[in-house]
Amino acid sequence: MTFMNDPIVIENLTKNFNGFRAVDSLNLKVKRKSFVGFLGPNGSGKTTTIKILTSLLSATDGRAYLEGVDVAQDPKKALAQIGAVVETPEFYPYLTPVETLAYLGELRGISNKDLKQRTKEVLETVHMTEWVDKRIGKFSKGMKQRIAIAQAILHEPSILILDEPTSGLDPRGMFEVREILMELKKQDYTVFMSSHLLNEVQEVCDEVALINKGQLLRNGPVSELTGADKRRRLEIKTIQPMSEEWLGRISNLHDVSELEIAGPNIFVLSLAGGDEAQANLLRELYGLNLEVISFKESGMALENLYMSLIKESR
Amino acid sequence: MTEIVTKNKKKIVTTLPSDIDQVGVVVKYDILKYLRSRRLLGMIAIEALVLLLITALPPLLGHQYSSNADSFVNTYASFVTILVVIGATLFAGDAIVSEFQSHTGFLLFPNPVKRWVLLAGKFIASMGAMFLVLFIYYGVALGLGLAITGSFSTLGAESLLLAMLYAVAALAVGYLVSSAMKGATGSLILTFALFLFIFSIVTQVLSVASVDPWFILTFAGGTIGYITQVPYPVNSSNTFGNGGQTITMNTFIPDVGVSIAVMVGYIIVALVLSYFFFKRREMAA
Repeated sequence: MTFMNDPIVIENLTKNFNGFRAVDSLNLKVKRKSFVGFLGPNGSGKTTTIKILTSLLSATDGRAYLEGVDVAQDPKKALAQIGAVVETPEFYPYLTPVETLAYLGELRGISNKDLKQRTKEVLETVHMTEWVDKRIGKFSKGMKQRIAIAQAILHEPSILILDEPTSGLDPRGMFEVREILMELKKQDYTVFMSSHLLNEVQEVCDEVALINKGQLLRNGPVSELTGADKRRRLEIKTIQPMSEEWLGRISNLHDVSELEIAGPNIFVLSLAGGDEAQANLLRELYGLNLEVISFKESGMALENLYMSLIKESR
Repeated sequence: MTEIVTKNKKKIVTTLPSDIDQVGVVVKYDILKYLRSRRLLGMIAIEALVLLLITALPPLLGHQYSSNADSFVNTYASFVTILVVIGATLFAGDAIVSEFQSHTGFLLFPNPVKRWVLLAGKFIASMGAMFLVLFIYYGVALGLGLAITGSFSTLGAESLLLAMLYAVAALAVGYLVSSAMKGATGSLILTFALFLFIFSIVTQVLSVASVDPWFILTFAGGTIGYITQVPYPVNSSNTFGNGGQTITMNTFIPDVGVSIAVMVGYIIVALVLSYFFFKRREMAA
């Protein structure tokens, strides 16, 4: 095993809950200093995997290693390597951010001097310097999530494990957390982040691992995975109302597949090929005397790949 | 101690503390939580009320204080078990379960800390809070006894030691309930109910059946009050009725030595089981 290059290694990981297999023989390696999006629909096994990595759950079978340390065998040593935000953590409402960071920092053995300095730095990173002495009990969900990220990076871990860090936040909160993630990306962390928000993953991650029903469907660099799937999804709005007759004619056009009606005068289709194929399709639609009002890509490349893989794995 | 070497260009050096050092950190912040949540202050307020009632009511009702220091302290010692029940509920009843139910476990458990360290730290903090309550209570009782009777009650000091042991046992049972239960409210209610009437009902039923309830924790806790009585009371039996139908009522008095052993037994068994449940418990939802 190459733990030097792969700080997170998951081998045949399996977790059963009363007969339900949440994670099914999962194998995955996360490269050092990569920002990996762990992508899958709700109930696909993302959070269960992350909970096993962070010793919140024990695996039914298989192994999970952090910096070469088996999490089940030596959780104390393994967890010393990571910073984690799992689900939406709650805080002790009577403590302030500074006291909370001091508590967790002291548990991790950060000296008082370093703790003071790092607390200041991480609270600046998450834009919480104005709230250092206020009790967390009164904070909004977004503020708590920022403190959660602050505690995860307090001890400068080599690995960051984030479980849907923008989940449950309002649009502003999501934007703020994403900004922090982009900031972390510039630093030396290896980040393993679960999400079901495709735009978030495409925006911040350079690698992606797709999971469904506890099994890994695909993993690799985002650019490679999206580049491999040459299809693009298009949404077309027309003057004429859509009918079976129109659909029949359009489906015979070059490189068109997965044609569906999406509204009274809207249809979506998958088109194999690049920009030329797209321009050619528009010409062919005009050739059919179809009066096109709008003609646009529907969803991102990652979304298209994701949807097709999820469909295939059903 | 383990020095954690990470592959980052770190600006800080973290030396992972020993388990014992981490216990100290958990104790420190759990005590702070008690202070901030006002549980400790609330407990001390209840205690002050109990002390005020015991001290002020006799003269207001025209009764004289006892001139014997042990007898004076006995009145106070008789109410200690109630304080311990409230303390065990407040300081132990939801100590473990709340980490799971309120999701603070998602913050705490992914840290490099063993479960026994968290349990030990929290338990010691609970002991500290409970002992503080007992020291204040006995400090006032023994101090008033010295001021009013002119002598110090050594049996009162022994009662304090028994009260401390009983408090630790009650906390251990509270931790066991807290580790095993799914909800904090249920855990608090069960801890309170166990000591307030479940153990008492079992003790009464056993007594009626002429079975010495020496193994019941609250029965053993009775030694806290009895020890200040001179002479120490003994088991007795009274027969009522006439003719063919008679009823025999047994009054069992806990033996100090046996009760100490029972309390120690409760502490060990409850803490071991509490650790077993806590370690196995998963942060599933």
